Amino acid sequence: MVKAEKKEQSASTHKIGIYMWIWGLLFVLSFFSYMVDWYNFQGMLRWSLILFFMFLKAGLIMAFFMHLFWERYALVNVLLWPMTAIACFIFLMVAEFEYTLFSRAFYFVVGGGA
Amino acid sequence: MSDEYDNNKSYQAQSSETMGGSAPASPDMDYVRPAETPDQELYHGHSFITKWVFCQDAKVIGVQYFLTAVFTGIVGLILSWLMRLQLGFPGAAGFMTAEHYYQFVTMHGMIMVVYFLTALFLGGFGNYLIPLMVGARDMVFPYVNMISFWMFFIAVAVLMASFFVPGGPTGAGWTLYPPQTILPGTPGAGMGILLMLVSLSLFVIGFTMGGLNYLITILQARTRGMTLMRMPLTVWGIFTATVLAMLAFPALLVSAIMMTLDKILGTSFFMPTILQAGEVLEYGGGSPILFQHLFWFFGHPEVYIVALPAFGIVSDLISVHSRKNIFGYRMMVWAIVGIGALSFFVWAHHMYVSGMNPWFGFFFATTTLIIAVPTAMKVYNWILTLWRGNIRLNTVMLWCLGFIVTFVNGGITGIFLGNVSVDVPLSDTYFVIAHFHMVMGIAPLMVIMGAVYHWFPLVSGKFLDEKLGKWHFWLTFLGAYSIYFPMHYLGFIGVPRRYFEMYDSPYMTSAVGMNEFISMAAFIVGAAQFILIYNIIRTLKVGKKAGQNPWKANSLEWLTSTVPPEHGNFGERLPVVHRWPYDFSVPGAKDDFITQTTPPSEVVHTEVEKT
Amino acid sequence: MSDPQIEGLQLKPGFKGMSEDTGSDQTMFKGVHWGKAMMWIFLLSDTFVFSCFLISYMKGRGSTLVDWPYPSEVFALHVGGVSVPLLLIAIMTFVLITSSGTMALAVKYGYEKNRKMCGWLVLATALGGLTFVGMQAFEWTKLIEEGVRPWENPFGAAQFGSFFFMITGFHGTHVSIGVIFLFIYAYKVFAGHYENGGKRGWFTTMKGDYVEIEILGLYWHFVDLVWVFIFAFFYLW
Repeated sequence: MVKAEKKEQSASTHKIGIYMWIWGLLFVLSFFSYMVDWYNFQGMLRWSLILFFMFLKAGLIMAFFMHLFWERYALVNVLLWPMTAIACFIFLMVAEFEYTLFSRAFYFVVGGGA
Repeated sequence: MSDEYDNNKSYQAQSSETMGGSAPASPDMDYVRPAETPDQELYHGHSFITKWVFCQDAKVIGVQYFLTAVFTGIVGLILSWLMRLQLGFPGAAGFMTAEHYYQFVTMHGMIMVVYFLTALFLGGFGNYLIPLMVGARDMVFPYVNMISFWMFFIAVAVLMASFFVPGGPTGAGWTLYPPQTILPGTPGAGMGILLMLVSLSLFVIGFTMGGLNYLITILQARTRGMTLMRMPLTVWGIFTATVLAMLAFPALLVSAIMMTLDKILGTSFFMPTILQAGEVLEYGGGSPILFQHLFWFFGHPEVYIVALPAFGIVSDLISVHSRKNIFGYRMMVWAIVGIGALSFFVWAHHMYVSGMNPWFGFFFATTTLIIAVPTAMKVYNWILTLWRGNIRLNTVMLWCLGFIVTFVNGGITGIFLGNVSVDVPLSDTYFVIAHFHMVMGIAPLMVIMGAVYHWFPLVSGKFLDEKLGKWHFWLTFLGAYSIYFPMHYLGFIGVPRRYFEMYDSPYMTSAVGMNEFISMAAFIVGAAQFILIYNIIRTLKVGKKAGQNPWKANSLEWLTSTVPPEHGNFGERLPVVHRWPYDFSVPGAKDDFITQTTPPSEVVHTEVEKT
Repeated sequence: MSDPQIEGLQLKPGFKGMSEDTGSDQTMFKGVHWGKAMMWIFLLSDTFVFSCFLISYMKGRGSTLVDWPYPSEVFALHVGGVSVPLLLIAIMTFVLITSSGTMALAVKYGYEKNRKMCGWLVLATALGGLTFVGMQAFEWTKLIEEGVRPWENPFGAAQFGSFFFMITGFHGTHVSIGVIFLFIYAYKVFAGHYENGGKRGWFTTMKGDYVEIEILGLYWHFVDLVWVFIFAFFYLW
């Protein structure tokens, strides 16, 4: 019985090294995203770098610190599908703020074309 | 204890103690693998307070939710009477000003959608039925469940308090569109709107606690043998609606927080530059349309939060009372899930005339028409379930049939409104009022009524009176159609919604007689609902005893150790499930129903299919 | 965490396992504690809350005609006469990631039933969280002294202050709640509530178990996760 318990424990924990690695990577990635601002990159380069580091960090935290990498797919699946609704919302709101910006510029600055 | 329950001696043979670790060499046909988690320990209340007030039994919490929701529903009903009084007979209610009218419209809408229907279906039926139907002793977190109800109770109290503050409740319409909602000139723009926003936030917090319970109970605490595809459709409907609620209410919470800040701190999230009486207000630069997006990102799933439990419940009622298995069970499940998923992609069809990006109309009209497909499949399946069934035309079945007709009516007008070019002229007319009252007012209400007549024998152990029930049904059904059919016509001739008076334009005066007729019908339908209350009180006193499983249904809630079920639901042992809950009229079977707990070895000689 | 052992059921890995888990009876998430499943679903709901906040922020910022304040300068800190952009934010990020790491280790030691290590690491996490909240209070004070208010600010669009205080405030509230619970659970670990079969918790009939530390950890990592997004969208954009 004691032996079985021991075995179960070792199965459910991971080597400390993996946490240390992720921890270190998070620091490095945060440093990099800070550097994006430090070196004052602009335009698409800035955007893609910010988003790249952001998603990488978020992915690492979720996968390893929150153990999603080791969870069974049934749980992962349930958690990730709803993000499509968020993605759709973001996508449409980008279109919406561009339209709002256009109409504001058109009516308030240009004067409505009258 | 019932015969059904006692006869299942096979429980003992399969209990986890005797089964041992490994599966038997030759798999016994009745084998169900042992329980994964130990039996839940329950906190049993001893005093009156822990048993009936701060109670941790999901069934009592369900009844508490039900009664509180019905109370708010009656308030909403009285408000609708007052509105109809004004519309049908202007000036008949002497105290009624335009401000009062707007306040009543707003409170009627908010109460009916959020505090009545949502709370009743998820809080009331969800709490009562989920643990019973999936074979659990209780919700997984009974304490949190209890807090959930009391948060709801406080939310209702705060909402009702807004009737008594200076300025009265908010009169901005249930959609609470800024900027007018929080500006002077709108009734209740002071305390009224604040209390509304606080109340909504409390409701969301309380509901989140309850919703987590429903979801985890369904996902993680089913009994042995209960797979997802053996759950009654009621549970599927409530489950999917709860998922929608968990993901949609955040948008409401966020918009409530932002509007509260706009109101209290003077931020301009939703407030553009505004001229008021010639003066420029402090506000500026905000986006009213952002609120509309947030609100409808919540608001459209909310429609399905109300509709999906109704879909689920009515499927079960139809199946039981026509003694036939539900037609296309898997299709029904996937339709519920599909409608739920799609409901997050259709929200801006409420905003065609709002001034949003004009291209959105194309996207949202398309998704709206797509969502009609699984909905229509469900209607076909209900009809095919009835087809050549052994229909018992009792009160429950009448309500179900009423639901199907009403839902089809309301659904078809929904397809009209989903198309931009048809919607634009019909926007903000009585056609819209008629549409959504049919599809998410009357239709779910009919299911609620059917469900009350169906499950009352379980909750109280007594049958509701059939004669009174039929009066209740016919008055409601015919009355509701008298109210809402003419409204479609009013919409076509262009009568706008939310108008205090109809004024004297030619088409308005032509509608006077019709408005009077609608109002009369509304008074009668409203009054007819009190037949149910009378019926319940009478039944509790002198009703006919129901006994165990009076409808000869299959699902687990009828197989409890006692009627009404005690705390812990199933006595000593939890039931073991071997099949879906729809094995009715199976050729060769002894009875015309085979309960979910009947092991395969008892029905080998029948033509029952493996489920 | 890793695949659990379940009596009478052969768990399969990958997508095959996913469909079998979903189709099986009793539980959908095999071997997942009720509380842990609840925390995950709650976090999913909370994700929608923060997403709605950030989407509103995007909509507000994207459609403004007035210039948006330049975050690199607004959030700069003057150290010895030199203006260092985002210095405080960088330190706050450092602190929060540090506390996230200690939390991850606390969960690991908890499952190894190493009471001392687990307790100290939870306590360290709590202190990290407290530092973060303190620095956020400092940041708010500094901005308010510079004239930034929820309804106006001297740097540009009024919505800047509105969104900043609302979103960081909401995140800070999450951190503060987390800190309170971290202290409570540090006490519970040290007091041995999870040892010898577990002590009955408050308001529940369930026995305590080190899985509660993982549940707490999930919440704490989520707070960190949100900060990653706030950092990117608020300070770097």
